[in-house]
Amino acid sequence: MNKILLMALLFISYTASAITLDDVQRSFASQPIVRAKFQQERQISGMAQPLHSSGEVLIAKSKGLWWQQQHPFPMTLVLDDSHMVQVMGSQAPQIITADSNPQMFQFNHLLRALFQADRKVLDENFSHVFTDQGNGKWQLVLTPTTTPLDKLFSTITLQGDKVLNRIELNDLQGDFTEISFSNHRLDPRKLTHEEQQRFAF
Amino acid sequence: MKSSSASLSDVHRRLAWGWLAIVTLLVVLLATLLPRARLDSSVLSLLPASSLGNVPPQIENGFLQRLDRQMMWMVSPGNTPDTAAAQWWQSQLQQQPFLQDVQGPMDASSQQEWGKFYFENRNGLVDNQTRSRLQNGGEAQAQWVLSQLYSAFSGVSGKELAHDPLMLVRGSQLALQQTASQMRLQNGWLVARDKQGRYWYLLHGELTGSSFDMQQGRAAVEQLRALEQNLKQQFPQAQVMSRGTLFYSDYASQQAKHDVSTLGLATVIGVLLLVLLVFRSVRPLLLCATSVAIGALAGTAITLLCFGELHLMTLVMSMSIVGVSADYTLYYLTERMVHGAQNSPIASLRKVLPALLLALATTAIAYLIMIFAPFPGIRQLAVFAASGLIASCLTVVCWYPFAVRGLPVRPVPCSTLLKGWLNAWQNNKAVRFGIPLALLVISLVGIASLKVNDDIASFQALPQDLVREEQAITALTGQGMDQKWFVVYGDTAEQTLQRLEKLAPVLAGAQKSQLIDSYRLIPLASLEQQQADLQLLREAAPILQKRLAESGVTITAPNLQQMPVTPELWQKSVISSGWRLLWLSLPDGKSGALVPVSGVRDSAALATLAAKLPGVSWVDRKVMFNELFSHFRSLLAGLLVIAVAAIALSYVLRLGLKRGLLNVVPSLLSLGGGLAALAFSGHALNLFSLLALVLVLGIGINYTLFFSNPRGTPLTSLLAISVALLTTLFTLGMLVFSQTQAIASFGIVLSCGIFCAFLTAPLALPPSTQGEGAR
Repeated sequence: MNKILLMALLFISYTASAITLDDVQRSFASQPIVRAKFQQERQISGMAQPLHSSGEVLIAKSKGLWWQQQHPFPMTLVLDDSHMVQVMGSQAPQIITADSNPQMFQFNHLLRALFQADRKVLDENFSHVFTDQGNGKWQLVLTPTTTPLDKLFSTITLQGDKVLNRIELNDLQGDFTEISFSNHRLDPRKLTHEEQQRFAF
Repeated sequence: MKSSSASLSDVHRRLAWGWLAIVTLLVVLLATLLPRARLDSSVLSLLPASSLGNVPPQIENGFLQRLDRQMMWMVSPGNTPDTAAAQWWQSQLQQQPFLQDVQGPMDASSQQEWGKFYFENRNGLVDNQTRSRLQNGGEAQAQWVLSQLYSAFSGVSGKELAHDPLMLVRGSQLALQQTASQMRLQNGWLVARDKQGRYWYLLHGELTGSSFDMQQGRAAVEQLRALEQNLKQQFPQAQVMSRGTLFYSDYASQQAKHDVSTLGLATVIGVLLLVLLVFRSVRPLLLCATSVAIGALAGTAITLLCFGELHLMTLVMSMSIVGVSADYTLYYLTERMVHGAQNSPIASLRKVLPALLLALATTAIAYLIMIFAPFPGIRQLAVFAASGLIASCLTVVCWYPFAVRGLPVRPVPCSTLLKGWLNAWQNNKAVRFGIPLALLVISLVGIASLKVNDDIASFQALPQDLVREEQAITALTGQGMDQKWFVVYGDTAEQTLQRLEKLAPVLAGAQKSQLIDSYRLIPLASLEQQQADLQLLREAAPILQKRLAESGVTITAPNLQQMPVTPELWQKSVISSGWRLLWLSLPDGKSGALVPVSGVRDSAALATLAAKLPGVSWVDRKVMFNELFSHFRSLLAGLLVIAVAAIALSYVLRLGLKRGLLNVVPSLLSLGGGLAALAFSGHALNLFSLLALVLVLGIGINYTLFFSNPRGTPLTSLLAISVALLTTLFTLGMLVFSQTQAIASFGIVLSCGIFCAFLTAPLALPPSTQGEGAR
């Protein structure tokens, strides 16, 4: 009798402590702004060397995603609810609006969903396997179920704890991209004036 | 006396046989023409044949026919994406014999073919954005290629880089995506999502055959409606929206049919009762029907002979006009009924003949004036009415003296009432001056409050559900049906494409300065442009290779061969699907392209832009039609004034200044009364109301002439005119109840105008008959 009780207690405590996708989502949702550095390694089949790049990223729940590659050449990508802007070197910014091209915005929403672990969007586009890796670490393997994603990626893997640490993209063609994030800063919880300007187009 | 009457009768017998021969000929003519005839029902075809400015007519017709054949559907499964309903709809459409080329999703094989064509012709399919990057040397293109390579989400593969190191295919596809409408591609389908969250799948197709007649159109619309019911049974959440000229023309013809059948029936019954009541005999009825039928027969045959087709609206209006030809029979029959005991049929005819012929001549001329209007439908109406009236009148003149033998002779019915009326006109100043003065005041008040409206849209009461679907589809796809385009044309395909390329920067400028919201240009370059692009590619390639090598990316040497894409090649390939509608090549090489424009803010400014470019023409059909309507309304108003002046002059010459001018008064007051009625009923003045005024003038003259005929008896004339008025009100007056705005306002002007003409016609009584009238 005691044994059974003990096992039941153990079981309850085990399930209570296991991290779920909902926990991750809740935890991410409590972070209005995440700033981080990223390192990207992209291995394209047929190319001798991998392509390395690095820069800064800013994810603001209210605004969107700001992605600034600094090395090896500057390139900035901004995604908000109604714009998609790419600025490259000295060229004029390329702006795509939601009204003019919903097709591209589908992608935009997905990208933001990845960074924010938005359960609803993920469910619509992927089948997923979530694993608790212990010590508060988790891994989410996503397999695309909708076109055109399923024509591009075989799997997308996310790893993290309180924050997102790594994204792995496995292309169908055998190419591979790994993005790791470091130096996460959650404060200040509001965008600074300078940061707000990044979204002004 | 007797012998001369007999010989006259012989002459007349020959006339009768001669007319019979002509009528037989007309029947044969109609029998041969009718099977090949086309019944047209679109309001637009009432309008001038040439509406696209100076575009070569074959190009214009080609485009218009093609546009008329387009059909579009949007099928919604509900709030979750699911292709089953759309697929079912597509398979049903594909089974319909009246549809061809029904297209839904792009399947995997065409997607592959699509990519293959782009790859194999990449050097000839350089897009604008790539071109502008190349124009800055290879540097900008190199930066762009690198950014694609480094982007984790671009999906660039090693294979792609090896085959197309300049990433031209990628560039042109991205550019296409940006010009793509508000729709997104899902499982090969073009899909839109509305504000309520419903998904909508797009399908399109074409009607088979170039001339789609009413019968076929009705059957097609009914079949589509049935399919819609079927769809909803199988997929309860599903909805369909449709778009196509077919639905509008079917609606128009249904309405016209309704007008013809119900109003026509009411008319026939009314006229039958009236004639029976007055003559108390069936024969006059048959005679009326015969003359009207022969009028209709001749009108249809001659119109078909001249035009090869008949517009439905023409048919409705003309039939009613020929109905007026019953007046001739009535005039003769009243004469016979009253004086049949004293005079022989031929003598009666001689008595009424001058008035009859004068009436016919003036009315026919009034209609024939309309031949000058450059509207095919109105010309048809003129020819139909004039030939119908002549045939009808000839029937009375040639046949009826033989047909009226033994017809009962009766005194004038309601003679006290009629005599009283005539008496009042001649002796009662309150009537003689009061009625015209009152009418004058009413006319002036009415005319003062009359509004003018030349907006073609207000003539056609479009069904709300069609309009709603149309608007919803426009909102979802971003593609309206408002028929505003630039038409670009040239003697060769190459010339047309070069002209398109000259127009492109102008369009971009117009968009930037917010003259327009957007435009659609076919993604095909002239060979000249393709040659220039190739030159750019050849110059940029080495710089690009060098720049990529510096970043550690080695690429194979790009293929810099010429890959010319001609319009023929393009049209045959899968990549032109969705664009083919916008390009037309004739066998002689003449080519044209449509550039649809949406969100037009200043139509006139765009016309000015087009005028500066050779081979470019701005087409805004609605504005163009409104201008035409207003132009011809003014023209017709002018013609009407001239006609009134001419009539006044002829009266003055025939009757002297005082009586001549007096005889014009009924005509003027009938015109004024018609206009006043239009204003009081809340309608606005347009081309159609002016057409009605032309008829009012013509018919009003009949009344005046019947009265002023010195050989006629005023009482008989009044009876004839009264019966004629009532039959006209029964026939044309019915048009007031038409569902079609244009026809309704036509009817109002006509019936009120004619009533005023009837009221004031006794002013034309010759003074010598005063004593007789008072008797």
